[in-house]
Amino acid sequence: MPICVTDVTYTYQPGTPFAATALRGVNLTISEGEFLGLSGHTGSGKSTLIQHFNGLLRPTEGQVSVDGVDTANRNNRKAIRQKVGLVFQYPEHQLFEETVAKDVAFGPRNLALSEAEIEERVQEALTMVGLDPAKYAPRSPFDLSGGEMRRVAIAGVLAMNPSYLILDEPTAGLDPRGRNEILGHVARLHKELGLTVVLVSHSMEDVARLVDRLVIMHRGQVAADGKPRELFGEPERLKELGLGIPQVTELMRRIAAKYPGVRPDVLTVKEAAAELLRYLGRQADA
Amino acid sequence: MTEMFRLENVWHRYSEGETVERVALKDVTLSIKQGEFVAVIGHNGSGKSTLAKHLNALLLPTEGCVLVKGWDTRDAKHLWDIRQTAGMVFQNPDNQIVATAVEEDVAFGPENLGIPAAEIRRRVDEALKIVGMTEYRRAAPHLLSGGQKQRIAIAGVLAMQPEAMILDEPTAMLDPSGRREVMETVLRLNRQEGITIVYITHFMEEAVQAGRVVVMDGGQKVLDGVPREVFTQVAELRRLGLDVPQVTELAQHLARRGIKLQPGILTVEEMEAELCRYVSQM
Repeated sequence: MPICVTDVTYTYQPGTPFAATALRGVNLTISEGEFLGLSGHTGSGKSTLIQHFNGLLRPTEGQVSVDGVDTANRNNRKAIRQKVGLVFQYPEHQLFEETVAKDVAFGPRNLALSEAEIEERVQEALTMVGLDPAKYAPRSPFDLSGGEMRRVAIAGVLAMNPSYLILDEPTAGLDPRGRNEILGHVARLHKELGLTVVLVSHSMEDVARLVDRLVIMHRGQVAADGKPRELFGEPERLKELGLGIPQVTELMRRIAAKYPGVRPDVLTVKEAAAELLRYLGRQADA
Repeated sequence: MTEMFRLENVWHRYSEGETVERVALKDVTLSIKQGEFVAVIGHNGSGKSTLAKHLNALLLPTEGCVLVKGWDTRDAKHLWDIRQTAGMVFQNPDNQIVATAVEEDVAFGPENLGIPAAEIRRRVDEALKIVGMTEYRRAAPHLLSGGQKQRIAIAGVLAMQPEAMILDEPTAMLDPSGRREVMETVLRLNRQEGITIVYITHFMEEAVQAGRVVVMDGGQKVLDGVPREVFTQVAELRRLGLDVPQVTELAQHLARRGIKLQPGILTVEEMEAELCRYVSQM
């Protein structure tokens, strides 16, 4: 079952002089098992949109449903929040407990589970983000590195056993190693547990490597929606939307323009290397 | 050229409680000359920010000494000279904005220096012009984009007429167009205004545009050179938890398969030219 966004318009502070429309007639369906990238410059409506996915915001006009359940109905709210896990930007700012275990247990504790079940959820969730429970559970979350704190915060959302995981720029401010660790775990959650993932990201390199489908927001509307390989074929359009294309994609487009027979639509360094070796090998044979 | 910053055998220890302490800088020696553009990279906790905060006396060394234009940062009577010489821009633009209109925000620093109003007016106008924000001078800062806010923060520092600017991950919270705006502004400050720049970043595509790259690890300076020297050490950078530009990595992949291109490729243009040269010689 999908998340369906139908003709959604959202206005902040409607009916006041400060009214600002952040979404205008958005239509989007996120199917189960998808790995979706969501991009767009600051102020394009991304964050407003993802807050509709779990009912934190309800549309001014239109409808959002999760697995067929309307988010506008207050009675459905608890079920929807459990099903759709939302990881905010800089989620480590929300850590507050004395130990990592207590922090991760905070959500499940509201679900009327037994202590043993809560304990199991905590262990599982920490393992999913690559933190050894034996080592990390008793520690204070505030003694951890930035990347580790962030993974604890993500574990707190995973401990709710969501079907959908929405991450708002989970790598912002991290160093390259921290970025790669987080994204590696997210990719595994999608592949091995079949979690539906929505990754909000500005990094076209990351998007190219990970997602099946990329949605780009612009001025509160869906400006592009397709496979990264297709969308990167129009770099000028992406630039208008405040985004770029990966460095290797740019390189291969230029090479392909000069040498017919070279594929322009590569996404990763590995793909580019393979394509160049293929082409150069053939030239050498000729 | 004269020296702007000099660190001599600098150690910095943060004390955590009574007994525990953490060594953030270990015996760092570094000299930065007037007019240089130095990027500092390193993973989180490598000592980059601690290093930056020593450059305008926000932190003082536990051992060793830091000189800014020859003034020792431990010498309290030169604190204002040092702060006025070396301005600092931080990661989060929202934490640096104090006023309700852009030009008032930019005027905040010089107002505190007791400068005549006409001179403040001139400095504010000039600073806004340099960062390309003149048309927003009466706007409310909180309504600007992240890149615009960061340019206002830079203008605020510029209005103090510093000789050097230290920027601590100024683009970490920005989207790609915001990052470009800030990077272009900083390059212009260096090239046209001659301001010495120390630029801390996690983005390698920004670091390659500097004149010099310093790599920190475990509180020590581990690499120091022009971008071309530093970024060709792909394996070493990986070991340190850092990235290299995609084209640099691609050149290395190809080299392993016997396609030898000129070493030190950092940009798409360079890689394109090298591949064309290679094909023409086949």
